[in-house]
Amino acid sequence: MEILDPTTEATAQSIAYAPRPASLEGKRVGLIENTKFNSDRLLAKIGDILKAEYGAAETRMWRKHNSSVPAHQEIIEELKRTSDVMVAGIGD
Amino acid sequence: MLLTSRRYSVADPVEAIELCFEKGWTDGLPVVPPTEERVRAMLDAARLRPGDQVAYIAHRAVSVTAEKVAINAVMAGCRPEYMPVVAAAVEGIGEPAWSYHGPGTSTAGAAVLTVVNGPIARELDINAGDNLFGPGWRANATIGRAVRLVMRNVCGSRPGTLDRGTLGHPGKLSYVIAENEAESPWTPLHVERGFRPEQSTVTVMAAEAPHQFYNQLSNTAEGVLTTLADDMRISGNVMGQPQYMLVIAGEHMRTIAKDGWIKADIRRFVFEHTKNSHAHLRRTHRMAGPVKPGDEALMRPLVESPDDILVVAAGGRAGAFSAYIPGWGSKRSSQAVTKEVKR
Repeated sequence: MEILDPTTEATAQSIAYAPRPASLEGKRVGLIENTKFNSDRLLAKIGDILKAEYGAAETRMWRKHNSSVPAHQEIIEELKRTSDVMVAGIGD
Repeated sequence: MLLTSRRYSVADPVEAIELCFEKGWTDGLPVVPPTEERVRAMLDAARLRPGDQVAYIAHRAVSVTAEKVAINAVMAGCRPEYMPVVAAAVEGIGEPAWSYHGPGTSTAGAAVLTVVNGPIARELDINAGDNLFGPGWRANATIGRAVRLVMRNVCGSRPGTLDRGTLGHPGKLSYVIAENEAESPWTPLHVERGFRPEQSTVTVMAAEAPHQFYNQLSNTAEGVLTTLADDMRISGNVMGQPQYMLVIAGEHMRTIAKDGWIKADIRRFVFEHTKNSHAHLRRTHRMAGPVKPGDEALMRPLVESPDDILVVAAGGRAGAFSAYIPGWGSKRSSQAVTKEVKR
């Protein structure tokens, strides 16, 4: 007898990664926090380290609508315009 | 039309069952071998073509086809006539408002609480009475199981990888009930949510386990619901304001209805009586920070609005028990969705 596979066979997808900067010197860093408790503090701390130790020029934080969805389109559009690199993280 | 899924040859049904275990396709229990004949019967019963898209899970970029839903429904032990209900439930969890990624993955361990309304619930003998959340009814046990197998096998929600439930709960095996429309004095859930009584629907809500409460003393609506509110006030993700479902069983249903209360009265009463003071939330380490002046009088509702309390009449006739079910997470993150069963 024959049985059928219940899983979805993955189809090949190509993802284009943005080129990585050689250094963070002078770069504008976008921070995306996911609304969970302390996620803003954690990311602010990371931003401070990137400025103090890696020479990042500035940081700016955005807040997602909620932790279970990807960052909404307005955030992504604004990030693309105003930041060179970004850090996303969760708080738990 | 051709079924495009990969095929495996096995000697007999026992070997097929073992292969499904080996491949990691089951929920831990044996499955019915998904042969082409059984899968086709499932598709035909719902008048679906193999390639029809039942749902698209945007966060996973996964298209859930009718063929895959049918294979998993066979494995779960569904009869072909259950297929339209399974498909409607899968359609529901694919809705943006249900927001699959959160409840499918979260450490908080949600299950898909599924309420079937309308004529199909009675046609398929979906249990709305005794032992409501327990075993004993094929439709209740296998429809929810089919949805969970779709989540596992098609959407990738496997425990330990993309299903990170810390505790989970038994409802993740199956969590399907019908509303007891035959005996309920109230407007059925689907009619409250915009459908006609003769339509059949499935409501899916990402939810915790049922919490049973006792009130064996009161013969008034206010008495029963005061107990409910007191049990419920601190439950679930207290700070998250998720939706809730109330499942009101026979004795309580009759007591509440005798006082002339309808579902809207239940919602309003429970909304008003489940608020917590900021002071209590802070003292019990649910709200951050020390108690501030005014916090004793500052009240936070358990849900955003009375409409976030879904009321369903179901459960055995005897016994002064009913249940409240906290939704997963928060209403912002996931909301109950109702879909028509297409036949």
